Amino acid sequence: MIDTHTNAIGDVAALPRGFIELGRATAERHDDAPEETVGDVTVAEPRMSARGVFVHYGDKRAIDNVSLDIGRNEVLAMIGPSGCGKSTFLRCLNRMNDTIENCRVNGDISLDGEDIYHRSMDVVLLRARVGMVFQKPNPFPKSIYDNIAYGPRIHGLAANRAELDAIVETALVKAGLWDEVKDRLAEPGTGLSGGQQQRLCIARTIAVSPEVILMDEPCSALDPIATARIEELIDELRQNFTIAIVTHSMQQAARVSQRTAYFHLGRLVEVGSTEDIFTNPRHRLTEDYITGRFG
Amino acid sequence: MTDAAPADLVRRSLARRYAAEQRFRRLGLAAVAVGIAFVAVLLVSIVGKGYSAFVQTQIALDIEFDRSVIDPDASGDPEVIARGDFGRLYKDALKARFEGVTGRSQVRQLYGIVSSGSPYRLRDMVLEDPALIGTRQRVWLIADDEVDMLVKGYISRDVPESERRVSDEVIGWVDELAADDAVRKAFNWTFLTAGDSREPEQAGIGGAVMGSLYTLLVTLVLSFPAGVAAAIYLEEFAPKNAFTDMIEVNINNLAAVPSIVFGLLGLAVFLNFFGMPRSAPVVGGLVLTLMTLPTVIIASRAALKSVPPSIRQAALGIGASRVQTVFHHVLPQAMPGMMTGTIIGMAQALGETAPLLMIGMVAFIVEIPGGPFDPATVLPVQIFLWADSPERAFLERSSAAIMVLLAFLVAMNALAVVLRKRFEKRW
Repeated sequence: MIDTHTNAIGDVAALPRGFIELGRATAERHDDAPEETVGDVTVAEPRMSARGVFVHYGDKRAIDNVSLDIGRNEVLAMIGPSGCGKSTFLRCLNRMNDTIENCRVNGDISLDGEDIYHRSMDVVLLRARVGMVFQKPNPFPKSIYDNIAYGPRIHGLAANRAELDAIVETALVKAGLWDEVKDRLAEPGTGLSGGQQQRLCIARTIAVSPEVILMDEPCSALDPIATARIEELIDELRQNFTIAIVTHSMQQAARVSQRTAYFHLGRLVEVGSTEDIFTNPRHRLTEDYITGRFG
Repeated sequence: MTDAAPADLVRRSLARRYAAEQRFRRLGLAAVAVGIAFVAVLLVSIVGKGYSAFVQTQIALDIEFDRSVIDPDASGDPEVIARGDFGRLYKDALKARFEGVTGRSQVRQLYGIVSSGSPYRLRDMVLEDPALIGTRQRVWLIADDEVDMLVKGYISRDVPESERRVSDEVIGWVDELAADDAVRKAFNWTFLTAGDSREPEQAGIGGAVMGSLYTLLVTLVLSFPAGVAAAIYLEEFAPKNAFTDMIEVNINNLAAVPSIVFGLLGLAVFLNFFGMPRSAPVVGGLVLTLMTLPTVIIASRAALKSVPPSIRQAALGIGASRVQTVFHHVLPQAMPGMMTGTIIGMAQALGETAPLLMIGMVAFIVEIPGGPFDPATVLPVQIFLWADSPERAFLERSSAAIMVLLAFLVAMNALAVVLRKRFEKRW
């Protein structure tokens, strides 16, 4: 059964426990998690929408019948205990699960109305339209300039060097990194600090001008000050991009997002506006999680 | 369990643990010392036998470049000059030097104290500078290999004449010349530049080195792209199924196949079926490619595996295709490891003899090959051939050739280490 304990700090993710729970008999899950998601999964004019998504790693079911919309120019936070499937779901949105060996994805996921798993959807184009920032900063072992310029180069977004320079500068400015690196663009990207590297990765993602940015726990490897800067950045980026962020920090979800979705053992338990979820959760599981009864 | 405090128990066990560690360390050092001792013995014995090959005894003779012998009609035509009887010149000089020598066998012995290649040396001198005709010059000629051995002290003078390769008279003549400062030891350029020869004093590793170089070049050009491409395919693109597993098992097995089997394959396929030129570096290179390909593939795969998956994820996430991910990101990261593996594979190929014997590179090749399609031999085979020869002078030459081969191998492995260190720093 789920281990309940009061957690005064309220934020520590219990990684191994979550995975063990995922492997347990599904009968328990059905007792607790609702058949239908509480709250309104749909939005008007969604940027991306998922319906009836199932994900299996071999025989293990990681995502169980999840339907969720992501609205335009909003920040959607996905929270839940470790191993509940939030990152798996996020990776479905830009088909990064394709790179995992025995991962099967079923269901309909669409971007601006186009089914992204359809044969006619070019996965390279999809990933240019739906960018991703990973948990651990992973700049390319190239110069800062080349890190940012790589995406525009391969997608042919710049006609000449001057345009490429402009794209690089814009991306770095938007990511809040320009002033710190403008004099050392030729230095390797791996020479930056952790927070700077993550901002570099964000700049790299936005240089390709995606429509949606997926962020998989982008601040978990960073210190509080770097985290705060990135949260500011997310708020600014919202004006131009749609952002889906997975986070294990409820405070971060509360600060940064407009809508929040709570996942539990592969099911989407509740979704709603961030304010509602955190002040007035409707499902018991959501309330338990938010109040720190388990985590 | 005693009532002693845990710290005391730990303290008591410390002595035993440290003693065990000391024993292990001493054993390790002893093993290293034994290894070094063996290497030292090997090197000392080889260098001891081979260093003298780098100098060669030369004898100075006053040669009269007689016009009547070289170019009677004073035509100045190089063809006429080239046909001149240059042997006459040095034989006359010897006869003039040692006037008392009579009798056919004695005279023949006298003529035999300089190398039989001396006429060619004199001819080349005159062809280069025809003004020499009609002059009298003191020319240093390469001594015969047995005189060379005598001067270097390898032929004992105390042994009775019948058990010696050089007769007492020859010893007497050489001593006379030495007293006149007409005997010297000079650096043996012949060894480094000439091709093989039946006469040890004219034999050199030049042909074998060029043959080895061409063979290695062909091997490198063929095995590096093929090996890297195969590794990329197997590591990045191949679906994980039984067929791929079979390929992997076979590659690992091929790395352990005796090299002579590849020689037989080369003989059957390249020489018999395709009719490629026998003894040519191109065929040798093909055979060695087959042999080093598993090594290159295995090293390259290890290098590719060592690239962290976060790089691939980042590249894919930005919208790079799989091919772009591999060639723009993974391959540059893996390249140092691949190069190191290739250099080590090449160093292995450099020392291979058995497969090349099968495809005919064991022939007696005198001319230095001009390209990969000319018949050639390789350095290990040359050593093998010389080691078979009875002449004492070939013993020192084969040891010297081994020194050269070892020097190349050490240089290549050192290059591999330097490259790996240099690229590791950048990343």
